[in-house]
Order: sequence, then C-alpha cells, then structure tokens
Amino acid sequence: MDQSNNHPYDELLAAYSAGSLPLSQALCISAHLEHCHSCGQRLQQLNHVGSELMQQLKPAKASDELKNKLLGMLDSLPQDLAQEQPREVDSRVPRCLHQFIDKGYDDLDWKRVSADIHSAELCRDSNGAKVELLKIKPGGSATTHTHMGDEYTVILEGSFSDESGLYGQGDFLVRDEKDQHTPVATQDRECICLAVTEGPIQFTGFLHRLLNPFIRRGYA
Amino acid sequence: MALMATTTGKSDKLAHLSACIGRVADKRDKSAFAELFDHYTPLIRAYSLAREPGADLVADELVQEVMTRVWLKAEKYNAKLANLNTWIFTLARNCRIDYLRRNSRYATEIDPTDIFNEMEDEGPGPFQMVQQNKAQQSVREGLEQLPQEQAEVLTKVYLEGKSHQQTSEELKLPLGTVKSRVRLALKKLEVLVTR
Repeated sequence: MDQSNNHPYDELLAAYSAGSLPLSQALCISAHLEHCHSCGQRLQQLNHVGSELMQQLKPAKASDELKNKLLGMLDSLPQDLAQEQPREVDSRVPRCLHQFIDKGYDDLDWKRVSADIHSAELCRDSNGAKVELLKIKPGGSATTHTHMGDEYTVILEGSFSDESGLYGQGDFLVRDEKDQHTPVATQDRECICLAVTEGPIQFTGFLHRLLNPFIRRGYA
Repeated sequence: MALMATTTGKSDKLAHLSACIGRVADKRDKSAFAELFDHYTPLIRAYSLAREPGADLVADELVQEVMTRVWLKAEKYNAKLANLNTWIFTLARNCRIDYLRRNSRYATEIDPTDIFNEMEDEGPGPFQMVQQNKAQQSVREGLEQLPQEQAEVLTKVYLEGKSHQQTSEELKLPLGTVKSRVRLALKKLEVLVTR
C-alpha cells in the first residue's frame, strides 16, 4: 500500500493487540489506526491470534457461587455502561486523545520550545514516558536531536520531512537513541504531532549540549 | 480427518454460542447468558491465571467485569464484524488492562477506555469476511505447528501480558531475539498483510 516504515511494525501492533504495550505507546498506535484502514485489518487478524491462544488454555472452572451471584445481579446492573456520553471535541482530534483535549488543539496550553516549535504536555505514563503534542510552524525546523530512549511520533496535522523522507497525516514513526534527525515542517501549513518520549531529548548542537543537564532535570 | 472433525465441532459450538448472544441481546434471555457463562468463564479465569498464577480472586473479579459487559453490550455485538471468541478476547483484554491500571503501584493518567475499541466501527465487506474466516482457520492450524520457542514468546506477550522487555528478562534472551521470534511466529501464522 505505502512505505512500511510509516506504520507500526508487526511486533509492536501485536503487543498492542495483546494489551501488553505501555499505554503511552498504545495511544500512538490508536491515533495511527484512525487514519489507517490496512493496520485496522492487520489488528483484527492479530486479535484472532489472541483469541485462538485463549481457546487453547486449560479451562479453570468458576464456582457456582460466582455464577449465582452474577446471575442475581443482572437486573440491577446500571445501564449507563452501555451508553456513551457524546462530547463536543473538534473532529480533527483522534478519539483516544479526547480524554486530554476538551475542545480542540487551539485551547491547549502551548509552551514555546524554540522559535519554530511549541509543545503541550498531555500526561505522563507509569514508566515515566512523556506524552505531548508538538506544533511546528510552516517551514519550521526542530533542532537536531537524539533521544535517551525511543521516541514515538504520529502526525496528526500537516506534514514534515527529515533525513529519511516525507511524512504526512497518520504516519507513525519510531526513532531510537541512535538516530539523529532534524524534522522540518512543510511550507504550506503548521504540523501537529503526537509525541511520546521515553527519556529526555538530547540536543546535539554546541549550545544545546550546554543546556542538556537542565533539560534532563525535567525528567527526574 | 480427525482435525476436520474437531474443526467442524468447534464451528458448530461457536454458531450455538453466537445464537445465545443474540438471545441475550434481543430477549434479555438469562438461560442463554448462563450458557455463555459456562463456556467462557473457565477461559476468562484461565486467561487471568496465566498472568497471575494462584490469584483466584483476581480471576473471579475479571470474570465479573467481562460477563457484566457481555450482558450490557450484547446488543452492540455484531457477528458480521468479529467472531464471538475474538470479541470475548478483546473484552477480557480491555478489562484486564483497566484492572491493572486501577490496581497498579505506578499510577498513569492515561485512561485506556478510548484507546482500545471493542468492535471495529467499520466492518469488512463480504469478500473480506470470507478472507478473514480463512485467515482465522490458518491461525488455528498454524498455532499447532509453531516451534516451541516461538509459541513461548507469543504466550508471554498475549496471555501473560508481558512486554517485550519483560519477556526478554524472563526468558534470558536479547530483546532483539524476542522481537524477531514474535515476527517469525506471525509470519508463520500468515497474519502479516503484505504491502
């Protein structure tokens, strides 16, 4: 369909299907899935794998007590579990991010990172990973940087390019600590990305190297 | 022949269970629900015990969560979109993620509810359905023939809910080996879509 490096690789999607992926990474996969029909189909197959493995387990029977208790509860269960409250979030925002974004991207608390970049932190995962949105102005560049851990990125709006290619809406990227890259947003419009970083970003320019100890402190 | 017989037996059973979920949805039929309980509860408990051996109370709690959702969401289940076994697996997976999050020592602010869909919103067409059923058949047969070392990592990841990192620590294997075994296993099961 398209270049395979813009989709989550198979073992990552399998971990998502298995429910064994850190939730911060699962957020990125979920955001990608909203834009990618072919990964949605792959996911269904991977869910079948989990389903078949489950069928092969040695059954562990429940007590009659549990069964009677549950059957007795059925009539008094609150029905609201079945109904979801529709919320008025901008349709551009992926569903998995509605929990962090009340209205739309514009209402977030954007903080200036550089002349070209603003960021809005959404949350932290239990493993310490930072989940944030990055906004790069049209034609803007993110300083050359490497990472202490892996970085997961999904493009939500606009597009950018780096040394490896051009990326557009829905594209999913993983960069590890060995990669050095300089993403540049395309000229036509600003670019908004969902970014999950497992460890602090290391800027590799001379001045930035001086700043690194201060940046790292943010992760203590 | 023996394999064909068990496969037919399994699909008859599944057709019967699918009829049960239909009766729960349409008529709020408690005897149909009891049949679903009898069939799926031992598997849901086994799934929970795979992650936490000996934790019977946790397993019972997962059963309650999953079967409650089966009762409340039966109407939303659509046999055209996913087979019942797979729907129950995704419910059990989602309930387990939620349980772990609520009971974890390490807090996370991320709510998994909107991350994992219980049903795809957009279903496959009839042609894709046939393809899917075929693929599911090949997954079932493929699992039986998987080399032990590949089956082992799939079990860790899917049933015990271990991350690749945890799997590599427990099996004393390099992380890259764990990932490549998962990849090889998926390739054998023919679940990789060629692009």
